[in-house]
Amino acid sequence: MTGSKPQPSWESAINRRRFVELGMLAAGTTFLAACGGSSSGGATGASGTIADEPGNLSVLEWAGYEYPAYGGKTATGVLQGYVDSYQAPKYTFLTSDDQALAKVRAGFKPDIVHPCVSYVQDWVDLDAIQPWDTALLKNFGDLNPSLVKGGQVDGKQYFIPADWGFSSPLYRSDKVEPDGEESWNLFYDKRYKGKISWWDSPVENFLIYGYTQGFDPYDFANWTDTQLTDATKFLIEKKKLVRNFWSSGTDFDADVANGNVWVGYAWGGSYTAAKAKGLEVVYSEPKEGRLSWNCGFVLAKETKNYHHAHAYVDDWIGAASAAWIIPNYAYGHSNTAVALGGVDPALVSAFHLDDPTALEEPKAHIERYVPDRRRFAKAWDEVKAA
Amino acid sequence: MSSDTDTVPTPAPPTRRRRVDLGTFGLVGPPVVWLVVFFVVPVIIAGAFSVGILAFFQDEAAFSLDGWIDFLDGSAYLHLFWKSARMSLIVSVIAVLLAYPVAYFMALCAPKRKYVLLLMIIAPFFVSYFLRLLAMKVILGDQGVINSLAYWLGLRDPDDPIPALIYSQPAVIITLVFVYVPLVALPIFVVLENLDRRLLEAATDLGASRLTAFRAVTLPLSLPGVLAGFIFVFVPTLGEYFTPLLVGGTGGFMFGNSIADLYGPSLDWQTGSVLSIFLLAVIALLMVLFGLAGRFLAFRSAPTG
Repeated sequence: MTGSKPQPSWESAINRRRFVELGMLAAGTTFLAACGGSSSGGATGASGTIADEPGNLSVLEWAGYEYPAYGGKTATGVLQGYVDSYQAPKYTFLTSDDQALAKVRAGFKPDIVHPCVSYVQDWVDLDAIQPWDTALLKNFGDLNPSLVKGGQVDGKQYFIPADWGFSSPLYRSDKVEPDGEESWNLFYDKRYKGKISWWDSPVENFLIYGYTQGFDPYDFANWTDTQLTDATKFLIEKKKLVRNFWSSGTDFDADVANGNVWVGYAWGGSYTAAKAKGLEVVYSEPKEGRLSWNCGFVLAKETKNYHHAHAYVDDWIGAASAAWIIPNYAYGHSNTAVALGGVDPALVSAFHLDDPTALEEPKAHIERYVPDRRRFAKAWDEVKAA
Repeated sequence: MSSDTDTVPTPAPPTRRRRVDLGTFGLVGPPVVWLVVFFVVPVIIAGAFSVGILAFFQDEAAFSLDGWIDFLDGSAYLHLFWKSARMSLIVSVIAVLLAYPVAYFMALCAPKRKYVLLLMIIAPFFVSYFLRLLAMKVILGDQGVINSLAYWLGLRDPDDPIPALIYSQPAVIITLVFVYVPLVALPIFVVLENLDRRLLEAATDLGASRLTAFRAVTLPLSLPGVLAGFIFVFVPTLGEYFTPLLVGGTGGFMFGNSIADLYGPSLDWQTGSVLSIFLLAVIALLMVLFGLAGRFLAFRSAPTG
């Protein structure tokens, strides 16, 4: 120390060089922590009983499906039964499948996640989930067999189907007159230039293109480079007719309600929302078939609540759950043993809720894994950037 | 740092070696640590993703420059970058042109109400960015304020609203200008506020008209403020994501939206990282250039006798 001011002795040690070293160390540690996230231990929890588990079930869930919003406090047997027997789960919310995957990849460890079936393979690839023991699910036998089959990867039941719905063109019948038979071609109809809204999603617009061109877009052998280039060119050309690509269902509902768009890609909820506002809308049944979605539950590989997870999901896939979701959210449910007596007949017919084959080809094309999603995503970005 | 020793009458030793003392460490340390942990490390991680050392599905990880080659080899993303840069440039120029008169008026013409006006300029920041964007949707929509007025005045038919007012590139530009004008006005205001009025008096004394005085004195001296304002708009709008998402429609898609898409639905973190690092590099380069330009302007406008 040469200065006149007395200074603590350790302080001189922290000169600039040391400081940089410390910074690098901090950076390196964080970096390693960030990279070392994916451990690949074996699946846990199948042995033992429910009483041996902590019971603090953590569910990564869509908003609106959490206790007590889902099923209501008074409805018997939806989630109340589980909560009474054990304890209320802790919910964290997802807004899209990719976001849920990213969250878990970053180290978040829920016991159960509620993704959609086209992403189950990604969850397996991420080494984050294990198959369910269907023998522990009393209601499993009542589930729609085609949905059950869709939830298998390598013959194992990684996914328990729960809710489903359609994706189809919705149009304002006071403004729009389909040209002949109802078709997805309404999305490319130049009479409604500037009043059409597509969904902003990397794959669906190519699927729609495939169906309108008369080939099966889910047969990925059909997607040669030439085919994909043609589709991209076609969509860029038709983009001129499109007002916007919606990314939030509520934004789309608002656009329909205030007249910004007359035709658009819609989920069932948009139809009921528009009807509730007194709008004259039709939920189209295109001759090429509707698209449809199906979401359900996957079980974390490292869960400590294996049996709790099964008990929770068993309640979720029960008939009482189906009886609540159909009239309240206008979604379909994988349980086919549900009585539809109390449901609005208009709703039943618009969504074919009483027809167990409604989700089968060629009437509907249920979502499934897209092996080369990035290739479609790049093409879709090309459409948007053009 | 040495101000306390300056005020104390006892003279400091003449050849005191400067050391990083506790005060410096205390002041600089936390932000540096913050910056390292939340900026430098994420950039390094993004860099690792961009060359495939890290991958979303870790068993796919393998070093590869394909992401960079695909991007730089005339990809749609590179094209989109230039489109976004052009949009940012348009927004920045319009914002500067609109903000300058406001700042000028506040600084030089309204001495009494200066701070009231300043408050009015800042007032939009009391409302969240998201709400301001939603408000713009209400103003610009087909049943919005502007279109409704046009229908009421009989200028347009209700079935034929003004096109491109919402969900278009112009809509993005209008909204961004609206959001950023106050941010541009502030640095220009500060520079004009500190302008040496005697220079203007001198110009008048020497027979310069008001326009000449503005052109020869006020404008050159305010250029550092203009440059700062320009940077305040250009740099953040270059990576803009939210505004195009809400009012952009099919034509207003920007580079930032591509990055969000790639990290999101596409699960293509490699390309997303390439785009992010590229954007960061371009902005860093621009900051260097702007810094040099700022030094040049400051040098030119310094009173040299």
